Amino acid sequence: MKATILTVDDASTMRKVIALALAGAGHEVVEAEDGMAALNVLKLRHVDLIITDVNMPRMDGIEFTRQARTLPKFQRTPILLLTTESDPEMKARGRSAGATGWIVKPFRQDQLLAVVAKVLPAA
Amino acid sequence: MSTAMPDSLQQQLLNDLLVESFEGLDRFDHELLALENGTRDTETLNVIFRVIHTLKGTAGCLGYGRIEATAHVGESLLSRLRDGKIDVSADRISALLALSDALRAMLQHLETVGDEGEVDHGPLLARLQALQEDVPPATSVEPEAAAAMSAATPAPAVVEDDGFGLFDDEPAPEPAPAAVAATAQTPPVAPRPAVPSPNSDSEIAPKASVSESAIRVEVGQLDKLMNLVGELVLARNQIIQNVTQPDPAALLAASQRLNLITTELQGSVMKTRMQPIGNVWAKFPRIVRDVAQELGKKISLVMEGQETELDRTIIEAIKDPLTHIVRNAIDHGLETPEARLAAGKPEEGRLLLRAFHEGGQVNIEFTDDGRGIDVERVKARAVQRNLVSADQAARLADREVFNLIFLPGFSTAEKVTNLSGRGVGMDVVKTNIEKIGGSVDVHSAPGQGTTLKIKIPLTLAIIPALIVTSGGERFAIPQVNLLELVRLEGEEAQRKIERLYDVPVYRLRGQLLPLVDLNRHLQLRPAPDAHDIVSIIVLQADGRQFGLVVDAINDTEEIVVKPLGKQLKSLACFAGATIMGDGRVALILDVLGVAQQTRVVSEMREHARAEDAREADQIDDRQTLLLFESRRGRHLALPLSMVARLEELPLADVERSGRQEVIQYRGQIMPLVHVSRFVGDELEERPAPGDDELMQVVVYSAHGRSVGLVVSRINDVVQESLAVQNEHAREGILGSAVIQRRVTDLLDVEGIIRVAVPSFHHHGDN
Repeated sequence: MKATILTVDDASTMRKVIALALAGAGHEVVEAEDGMAALNVLKLRHVDLIITDVNMPRMDGIEFTRQARTLPKFQRTPILLLTTESDPEMKARGRSAGATGWIVKPFRQDQLLAVVAKVLPAA
Repeated sequence: MSTAMPDSLQQQLLNDLLVESFEGLDRFDHELLALENGTRDTETLNVIFRVIHTLKGTAGCLGYGRIEATAHVGESLLSRLRDGKIDVSADRISALLALSDALRAMLQHLETVGDEGEVDHGPLLARLQALQEDVPPATSVEPEAAAAMSAATPAPAVVEDDGFGLFDDEPAPEPAPAAVAATAQTPPVAPRPAVPSPNSDSEIAPKASVSESAIRVEVGQLDKLMNLVGELVLARNQIIQNVTQPDPAALLAASQRLNLITTELQGSVMKTRMQPIGNVWAKFPRIVRDVAQELGKKISLVMEGQETELDRTIIEAIKDPLTHIVRNAIDHGLETPEARLAAGKPEEGRLLLRAFHEGGQVNIEFTDDGRGIDVERVKARAVQRNLVSADQAARLADREVFNLIFLPGFSTAEKVTNLSGRGVGMDVVKTNIEKIGGSVDVHSAPGQGTTLKIKIPLTLAIIPALIVTSGGERFAIPQVNLLELVRLEGEEAQRKIERLYDVPVYRLRGQLLPLVDLNRHLQLRPAPDAHDIVSIIVLQADGRQFGLVVDAINDTEEIVVKPLGKQLKSLACFAGATIMGDGRVALILDVLGVAQQTRVVSEMREHARAEDAREADQIDDRQTLLLFESRRGRHLALPLSMVARLEELPLADVERSGRQEVIQYRGQIMPLVHVSRFVGDELEERPAPGDDELMQVVVYSAHGRSVGLVVSRINDVVQESLAVQNEHAREGILGSAVIQRRVTDLLDVEGIIRVAVPSFHHHGDN
């Protein structure tokens, strides 16, 4: 299924890496450079999946996840946390904020696509 | 199963990574220094952490394991710092700065060679690892990261879990055994770019580094450009239409539109090329810190005007010279804390950087409060290096001595340190600045410090220029070098140009201006009617003025600078070429080159002291003095402000009115006063006037009347702060002072006139 995916990261190179991988699999990609910008995107349009970095200026990924979950349209949308910190405490915080899963950087393209395929609702 | 990315895509992502990471590391350094200086807030550590965190993640995803592993160790240290588990210390800052250097080196290697390089960063990583503990651990502990780094093959730093998972699946995460195996052995996502073979160098030839060849432009700015290009297309259509259906009114309107659009487009494109000078300065705090630490000095760096914008090509060109100047100031300019305390100065030296726009140019000033330039030592060194003769050195004005440091082969350091003495002298700095049409000037006060001033043009691509004609050819003279235009007509043209030591000169407001005839210099045939009118363009080169004589002065124009071809490049007197409105080519004169080739500047140095003094300082108690000699060779001076004109009048024209010698001057009868009579020279019998003999007359005017002071020789105009000793005062003399190392009497003009021409003031009073 072709999906619209929002990727949130303050590093533009990282956004590009993700966008290229997802576009290669036929998905449409929307980018935002931090949580605040991502929330604005969500107010304007629909997305099927969100992949967000955790450590970002202005608003981090955990806070973004928490706020995204308060938007009626995005209460069930899968949110994947993208992070190099894979310690249990961070995961716990992500989980309680409402994240669906996590991806550890660095990841391989097939890993990314596998987890994306897994969380996207079947067409 | 990981899809290999096409090479071009990988290259593009690498470029992005490089740009992002270099920027990030600059910010990293900057924030770290802020942290050390105690100007930290909670966000500072977050910013620092995020740079390394991002670099680690992105590099990892692109398959650069060594960078990732190195960044990882720094990230661990930073996360402990951020969480307040350990404190910020000088050791830790130094280690983190070293980490930033190491990362930069690997990125640079990646950029130029295509891989991360083989440098073993093990010791650094061990140091970073050790600093994570409050108490340094035993040195025998070999941290795992160091070991990982020393390994030949890059290995991802840490794999704590499978790489991804879903919270709903826990505690049984997605197995993905293939992924685990792959992570351990193959690089993630993208294959590392193959190291190019030596003969495929066209691809990797290090032309411009990525950070130099890529630029960030605001989207709004791009939109504006696109808009203007749209307008341009419309204007073009109108003009093309006019070719087939001529309509003068419409053509005029279209041309006006085209003019407007082009001007705006030019401005907008220029704006995208502009960068704040702060981009270059950003690395200075780090340099100052490192160099000061190495030399045991304490220095605070103050920067003003970081936002001052310059064209990026100029930014690139001044990067190295500016860095060298900063190093030089720390190394030679500022003293050690002990020396400063001994000299009664605060322990911490100060280096002030200022940048500002002025007159279409950018000014950059470096001011230190160090020991200043030791004039005698510079002279001694210059003599020792055979740069000047001892005799010449003795006669040099202070400002000329300062400029000796810019001569090739000069170095004042008693011993060559590894900082300043790396073969790049101030001469290279000066050459590089002048290459882009800039100038360097240095002022210094002993014990108080040194100021280095740089002036550079905003851009090199399109410049305002004066178009002149000489020998039937057109030439463009960059407006930056231009001071004023002088036009002499008819008889004046013949009379006003004198010769001094074989150099044609023109007296411009009492100052001698050496002249260069462009026709003669370029061996052009002058226009036939060129003799009636002399057009002098007063130019500035190397801080001095000279006049360029051309056949005709046309107009000012904005010209597009085109570089000269290889064959012509070595001609010092041309800076480039441009294409004029009629499609013909005009050469752009290199004013400095012309001045140097004709030697007009150096030969006139002796006579141009006035300039030195005027520029050398801004001290207010200086006055401009006219220096002259009496018949017996006594040195005399009077304030230039009292001088109306300097004239050479034929001795034969002197007449008498009663006992008074007079001369007809500008429709008046001007009394003449022989200064020699008032300064103690015995009166000599005046020789019978020859027909062509001239006398030097200083014309003093007041109340609409003039008196001519006859002197034997006019020497110079200087600026001096006078220390007048009044004990030498007597009739006609206010006192004495030492000017240019000579005892010089200051003439009491009013007093002399009161005695010699009693009627002068009576008339004035009436």
